[in-house]
Amino acid sequence: MPDFQADDNKLTLKVVFYGPALSGKTTNLMQLHSLLNPERKGELMVLETRDDRTLFFDMLPIGLRGNSGLDLRLKLYTVPGQVQHDSTRKAVLSRADGVVFVADSQPSQQDNNATAFGNLEENLEKVGLDIDTLPMVVQFNKRDIPGVVDEQELQHRWASTPWAPLVMASALQGRGVIESFRTLLDRLYTVINEEFTLEQQHGISRHIFIDGLSASHEAEHAKL
Amino acid sequence: MRSFEDDPTLQELLSADQLQRLNRALSGLCKEPVTLSEHKAGDSVPVEFNLERVGWLSGGGSRDEQLAAAELVSFLMMFVAKYRLAANLHHDTTEASYAELQRQNEALKASETRFRELSGKLQQTVDEQVDVIRQTQQELFESARLRSVGQLAAGVAHEINNPIGFISSNLRVARDYVEDLKEIAPDTPANRDLLQDFQELLTESIDGTSRIASIVADLKTFSSIDQADYSLCNVNDLLQSAVHLVQTEYSHSLQIIERLNELPQVSGHPSRLSQTFFNLLDNAAQALRDEAADDASGRILVQSQVQGDTVRIVIQDNGCGIPEASRARIFDAFFTTRPVGSGTGLGLTVARDTVRAHNGNVTIDSHPRTGTRVTLTLPVKGS
Repeated sequence: MPDFQADDNKLTLKVVFYGPALSGKTTNLMQLHSLLNPERKGELMVLETRDDRTLFFDMLPIGLRGNSGLDLRLKLYTVPGQVQHDSTRKAVLSRADGVVFVADSQPSQQDNNATAFGNLEENLEKVGLDIDTLPMVVQFNKRDIPGVVDEQELQHRWASTPWAPLVMASALQGRGVIESFRTLLDRLYTVINEEFTLEQQHGISRHIFIDGLSASHEAEHAKL
Repeated sequence: MRSFEDDPTLQELLSADQLQRLNRALSGLCKEPVTLSEHKAGDSVPVEFNLERVGWLSGGGSRDEQLAAAELVSFLMMFVAKYRLAANLHHDTTEASYAELQRQNEALKASETRFRELSGKLQQTVDEQVDVIRQTQQELFESARLRSVGQLAAGVAHEINNPIGFISSNLRVARDYVEDLKEIAPDTPANRDLLQDFQELLTESIDGTSRIASIVADLKTFSSIDQADYSLCNVNDLLQSAVHLVQTEYSHSLQIIERLNELPQVSGHPSRLSQTFFNLLDNAAQALRDEAADDASGRILVQSQVQGDTVRIVIQDNGCGIPEASRARIFDAFFTTRPVGSGTGLGLTVARDTVRAHNGNVTIDSHPRTGTRVTLTLPVKGS
């Protein structure tokens, strides 16, 4: 649920990186932190971890200002993937505006993907969100590992879902991370613009929304 | 309620004491004292943390000092906020879990109550069933006893049949001999009286034997010990023997009007039909006895007639009738209004089951204090 504070002209959106344990949600966020160069970018807060596994969540705030003075914030969260942290996942997921589902491409992890996806569906329902209308992107991560499930097979499997086409990524190598994020921003904009008329009221077009929030250092370099 | 993810204010991040201490420490580092507060003052610079302005820093020896101090505060804030976020999240999830636990506890309590009720009901049902079983056992025992008594009676009747036959025929011959004696013996008043008396004795005895013979015949019909299977029965005969048996039972005190029309034979189980007729007549007799006020007016009407493809039998009394409250249950097994031990509660059940087994029908019309009419219809053989 977007949090709009009219007094401060501040709109806060929440995007959650969801997925099975060890699928690379935190890596996605870390890569975004280092790759992105949006108008405004806060600190990446990596909360408590144990053996490199998220215990609470990670959070990266980024932001953008509209020509109306609108303070648009996007808070990117990860959830702990391990099964036992379900109540934390549910708390982080509540009032989410968009979800990036980070799946593991390794054949041995396909069951875990399915379980995590089922858990996402269940928790969305518990916090009053509808998986069919929530802006969401499904990313298959770890493409750099040899022997991963064939992309065509994955695309075919997901072809009839609202989340096709899938985004292939290797978060560790920084590939597909920004692409996933941009795809999500695109879907998120459609929903948010409908409610807050970003373009008309605040001069934030789809183009500004996506590019403003996902501007990367590489792109800057390319321009130069 | 604030959610764990809401941007924290300075107050939430630092207590007043902590803020004072931070101000003291920062002032120690700067040439001039600096002050961190929530409100903008004069030359202050904003302190931002995660895109959110948490406060304003004023004082200091120079702008650079101010900015350096602000940066230091931002850096510190990150750790404070991290802890705060984790703590808030932990608090939120714990509270949610606790609420969930309480909900489950409530649900558990509710289901426990439900189960307790259920178990109570179950106990009650078991008790009721045990009662039914106990009663059924009693009834079974009683009906087995009755059956064996019936069999004994039928056996005895069978055995009596032969001697009563020759006694009866001997008595008739003896009566003829008395006629002969009348001619041979000297005609004196004493002889005449003697022979006259002798003849009367024999005539009474012949009446007696024929009564015995008819009782024996009724018993045989009733128990039909030698007719185990379906056969063609004469319903009127069965009715009559049932009437005789009831009369015997009630010492010939009943006023039973028979209106039996000629009937075709009916395929049926004679002993069961007899039992049914007897049960219905016995009920009627009981109804008259219950109404006892005026014995003379109590009547039972037994009627039989052909009606299309069926034989229709009516047994009607002008006795006490069946109270409204009992009417729905009269066919229930072991339902009886009679005192314990005097009725099995099976009479009408047997009657209904028998009639149904014959593809027939039974209906009961009753009005309290006016009487009861039981109508049986049985299909004629071949129809």
